Amino acid sequence: MVFMENLIHILYFVMAGLIGASFLKSFFKRKKNKGIVFDIMYAYCIIPFLLRILYIK
Amino acid sequence: MENTKKRLIIKIVILVIALAIAAVAAVDFWTLRHYKEKIVTSPYLTEVKWFSDYVPSLKNTWLDTPVFIFDSGVEGGTVFLNGCPHPYEPASTMAAYLMIENIEVEKGKVIIVPRCNFSGSTEGMAGDAYPMFFSVETEWGEEKYKIGDRYTNPLDQWPDPFTYVNYPSGQNLAYQDIRNLNRTYPGRENGTISERAAYAVMEIIRQENVDIAIDMHEAEILYPVTSTYVAPAKVLDREHFLETGEMVYVEPEESSLDIAMMAAMNIDQFLMKCSASPNTLHGLSHREWADWSDALTFLMETPEIFIDKITGPRTEDLMYTGSDEFLQRVTDKGLTYFPYEMEFGTPMWYRVGRHLSGAMEIINWASLFYPEKECIVSWPLYEDMEEIENQGIDSVGYFLKNPNAPENKDNVFTVYYKPVDNN
Repeated sequence: MVFMENLIHILYFVMAGLIGASFLKSFFKRKKNKGIVFDIMYAYCIIPFLLRILYIK
Repeated sequence: MENTKKRLIIKIVILVIALAIAAVAAVDFWTLRHYKEKIVTSPYLTEVKWFSDYVPSLKNTWLDTPVFIFDSGVEGGTVFLNGCPHPYEPASTMAAYLMIENIEVEKGKVIIVPRCNFSGSTEGMAGDAYPMFFSVETEWGEEKYKIGDRYTNPLDQWPDPFTYVNYPSGQNLAYQDIRNLNRTYPGRENGTISERAAYAVMEIIRQENVDIAIDMHEAEILYPVTSTYVAPAKVLDREHFLETGEMVYVEPEESSLDIAMMAAMNIDQFLMKCSASPNTLHGLSHREWADWSDALTFLMETPEIFIDKITGPRTEDLMYTGSDEFLQRVTDKGLTYFPYEMEFGTPMWYRVGRHLSGAMEIINWASLFYPEKECIVSWPLYEDMEEIENQGIDSVGYFLKNPNAPENKDNVFTVYYKPVDNN
């Protein structure tokens, strides 16, 4: 059970990384909502994912 | 083409600004996460163990934490004192530090855990803007101590379930309580990391044959169980439960509630109420420690207005002095459970002193009720702190010892989730 706990824990970090990467991709290239306000929003949303995968917050 | 290039430059500028903001935040988060508090242990210290000595899978995790053992070598009772089950109630840790630094044990054994949920002390509460540290004025300058969160840091235990089911009661609790050390007792050796830490506490109580177990907390004054001892009136019939799965509660052979009531009545320096632990609320120390060990168990709450939800700005000053006009207004309307007066507030020394005297009162009354559990121990008490405060000196700092002084260098201990320096 401890192994499963650790595995799920690591998987969530991997998922955080993938979502962060997806935001980063959408930050540079997206089909809709191309305004600067959305650039700021995407950049802002990347922060918590970045801090999580760096094991800081 | 020109437009595309310009857009790209703007994007990069935005990203760099976001990363700069992230870096500034990261420095703060990193500082709190890796902050190490230094204490000077009393010469009566005989051994330091770790949670991982009781639950090996906690080794090198942020839920491992030091366990300080003071054994007089004279047969008597064994007392366990638990600090920092909820790190955002820091008077419990400060009381534990003052005990560890000043304790003298003449009979019996005392076991102290100052940072029970070490992981929870490495972050702040999500959504609550408040300082990461508070400072204590000492002879050698200001010493910083962590404030922390109520829960285990999500960096160490993630994700939370939709509903947390306490083991073995099967009671449904709020999802975030899966990271609340005082909802995960009696814990599981192979459970979540918080359950394993809770199990380590149970193992300390069982393996060290603890007679008197005291859990130190703080509570809002809008919460009825503030300024209170909590002890069980009835305990689980363990054999019956293990045979049938049915939870039946019986009168204990030795009553911690009687001891708590006598202690509460005998304390005259400050208000101390007494409450019986409900049989139907699971995961809490005053319930599960009694149900799953033979120790007399107690929980103590001091009034900490910093965690009341209706205060003004949550500053270091509010944490340390406990003076707030909004809570005064609420108290004037009779809506709080503590006779609050903002001129005095609920200062740190007052809360620490309450824990020091509150625990001593329990130990003394337990010795009177059950002489074979007698433990003769001393540390600074509420009245000692009050006397120092009356001289205009910060009594918390007064009773701390200087970790940089040459005479203390052999007794310095760095409190962290693993041994560091010369621990």
